[in-house]
Amino acid sequence: MLAEVGLASLAIAFALAVYAALASTLGARNHSDGAIRSGRNAALLTFPALLLSAAMLVSALLTEQYQISYVYEVTDPRTPALYRVTALWGSQRGSLLFWSLLMSLFTGAAIWLNWRGERRLMPYAIAAMMATLAFFLGLSLFIENPFERWWLLPDAPPGQQELSSALIPAGALAPSESALRAGAQGLNPLLRHFGMVIHPPMLYLGFVGFTIPFAFALAALASGQLSTGWIKATRTWSLIAWIFLSLGLILGGRWAYDVLGWGGYWGWDPVENAAFLPWLVGTAFIHSVMIQEKRGMLKLWNMLLVIATFSAVMFGTFATRSGVIESVHSFARSEVGFPMLGFWAAITLVALTLLLWRWRRGELNDEHQFANLLSRESLFVLNNVVFIALFIAIFWGSFGLPIISELFFGVEVTIGAEAFEFFVVPLFIAMYILMGLAPLSAWGATSLARLGAALRAPLVLTALSVIVLWASGTGLPVALLGYGVVLFAGYVALYEIYRGAAARRRSLGESWPRAGLALFRRNQRRYGGYIVHLGVTVIGIGVIGSSVFQTEAQHTLVRGEMIAIQDYTLRYDDFIRAQAVDGRMMNIAPVTLFRGGASIATLRPRIDDYAQMPMTIAGAHSTLERDFYVLLISGDHERATFRIYINPLVNLVWWGGILLIIGTVIASYPKALPARPPRKREGADG
Amino acid sequence: MADISWEKPKNPEKPKRSERFKFLTAGIVILAAVLYLLISGTLQGARYFITVADLLQGEAYKGQTLRISGAVDGETIDYDSEKAIIQFEIVNIPSEYDDLATALHEALLDPTAPRLRVRVEDAAMPDLLQHEAQAILTGALGDDGIFHATELLLKCPSRFEESTGPEGLSKIPEHQ
Repeated sequence: MLAEVGLASLAIAFALAVYAALASTLGARNHSDGAIRSGRNAALLTFPALLLSAAMLVSALLTEQYQISYVYEVTDPRTPALYRVTALWGSQRGSLLFWSLLMSLFTGAAIWLNWRGERRLMPYAIAAMMATLAFFLGLSLFIENPFERWWLLPDAPPGQQELSSALIPAGALAPSESALRAGAQGLNPLLRHFGMVIHPPMLYLGFVGFTIPFAFALAALASGQLSTGWIKATRTWSLIAWIFLSLGLILGGRWAYDVLGWGGYWGWDPVENAAFLPWLVGTAFIHSVMIQEKRGMLKLWNMLLVIATFSAVMFGTFATRSGVIESVHSFARSEVGFPMLGFWAAITLVALTLLLWRWRRGELNDEHQFANLLSRESLFVLNNVVFIALFIAIFWGSFGLPIISELFFGVEVTIGAEAFEFFVVPLFIAMYILMGLAPLSAWGATSLARLGAALRAPLVLTALSVIVLWASGTGLPVALLGYGVVLFAGYVALYEIYRGAAARRRSLGESWPRAGLALFRRNQRRYGGYIVHLGVTVIGIGVIGSSVFQTEAQHTLVRGEMIAIQDYTLRYDDFIRAQAVDGRMMNIAPVTLFRGGASIATLRPRIDDYAQMPMTIAGAHSTLERDFYVLLISGDHERATFRIYINPLVNLVWWGGILLIIGTVIASYPKALPARPPRKREGADG
Repeated sequence: MADISWEKPKNPEKPKRSERFKFLTAGIVILAAVLYLLISGTLQGARYFITVADLLQGEAYKGQTLRISGAVDGETIDYDSEKAIIQFEIVNIPSEYDDLATALHEALLDPTAPRLRVRVEDAAMPDLLQHEAQAILTGALGDDGIFHATELLLKCPSRFEESTGPEGLSKIPEHQ
């Protein structure tokens, strides 16, 4: 019953999405208000239909309906309830349905927030959103159906008697429940982690979220409404998507750090890079859109960036889901690859064709020209160039080089992490320098003398900090340069907040806290942006500390033996074997960590044995200064081998991420919800 | 609020020739720098990604840093936890296949498939290093005929990623 209802509501959602796309497009072209409204209503109805469909799948996961092959693949009788729910996005088929659910939710939100304000854009925007949704629902219905069930065909030749099908084949019998329960596979142990509970939804929200700015851009191109309306709607939605994508990337790093057991959080893996690419272009857009709003410039460029961001989202989705990219993160090889590549190419082509058409008609001409190399808009453009250069370098290393070498030379050529670092480190240095320079410059034009005067305080603070770091033992020139550049960007952000508050104190006589609060309230975008810059600074410090100064060692200890590592001492205490409620055997080797002669923590590194697959779970003592991260390699009651990483400042990566999210929320938080018609109440006046 | 002020350009619509020259120079410098990074990074970091059979065919790849892919033979895995050295054998899998799990399974059943001994030093024992996992290794083939890897990436599709169907379901009495 669950499968039937789930499948039917999925099919209804597909029909609604197709109808909404067609009705909205035809309604806009024929100026038919009825068709436009009908399209909008159909688009709104996709959400309840998909919610019902997803609820059926979650119910099936919770109630152990193993005949549904998705439930059979991602859970087993010992799977805890939380992971039964999160199994919705634990594998390809469920996560495609989840993606569609989020897409319909975003569409509903966009209609609710923008229907009144962007009336002329909405039909085309809805058409673009619904076309994308219809494509993904088509994949779910026809290629990766989450409601397929196992059937037995007694009359079929041996080897073809078991079949997974969404519809009931003629003469088919249901397999026995006991056989299904015995064979159910369970969720991949790598995904049984809190980071994996929320990392994929955040990433999907980011990916899906960037569909909305793209839809508005496409609507502006299709309707010719290329004034500021589309850019305002697009900017807000881009920031919302950017929050989720940033959160998804940070949580992904945290998951890798906790679960993959190599002491790091970013490995330049193609699938990681595929998620990072839309973030880079999206970040470029969030900056350059300000120039269009303030100065009416970069109209063509902004359109290109919105299209490129969505294109990168689609490409990233293809890279992750097609299975053609060799990666620890990718889904299994799937037939969705070719249609996804086709959809990506088609939608990018349509958008670029419309863009070219409007551009040739002169509708995307800028209102001003760049007049000064040091003006804020010029520095923003340079910042865009850096982001795009990062995009090109990472795309080239992850996909361009392997694909081109395979196509033209018959042998695949790839590059390793060192080559990525060679590309990106100078570009990130340029990014931090521009992060520092641009806020101090002014729109229109700035003279070198004035910029120099504004730079004085942040540069002095930076120089002092580098001297303190050097005096306290950070002797490596590369690290000092890195810290200097990163701190410079942070000091500029702090200095700008200070200057703003000081100006209010001087002119209005406000106290420091009041002036600071008023500053954020009056110009939340600008000062929220500075908090984001501070977050990126903190992340930068964390990345430099944890990558340049990471140390690792492997030691075998007899029980009770102690070993000194830097200013820590580690003692191997015990070896415990225990079975968890979900059936896994846990091999735990508690160790005591001492510092300065005092015990500071008991860590429990362990190896969890899930039937055929072990999982190494690190024990970590975390402080803001560093992580003492220990992995159990092997052990018994006599002796155990540990791999130890000391990761200085690694926690700043996560704290900087939190700061970045807070800043983005401040910058994008709506000052007021869209105006609704006022309701008159009798006697309201008294 | 900010102390900074700016000078209004005399004619904002038409940048002066000297400014245009500055923009052009800046553009060329940036383009050149990015191209330099891409080209030199690629030349330094490029590695062929080949199969075990390609590697063992001749001397062409000997000593070069490469990426290779193969199926892990679980019986040959040996981990020296004191020295942190992993050794195992991988079996050739073709560069093109429809289903990774099947390709890995069939490769390990084929007694004539080319095999290669692999050694990874200073490494923790990866959780996914097991029979029928796909190993993607970066390193070089030494004179000793062993592939000395500096990087080891593993994929384990058979258990959790590519379901091949509930084996044995039809052997158990079914009911409607």
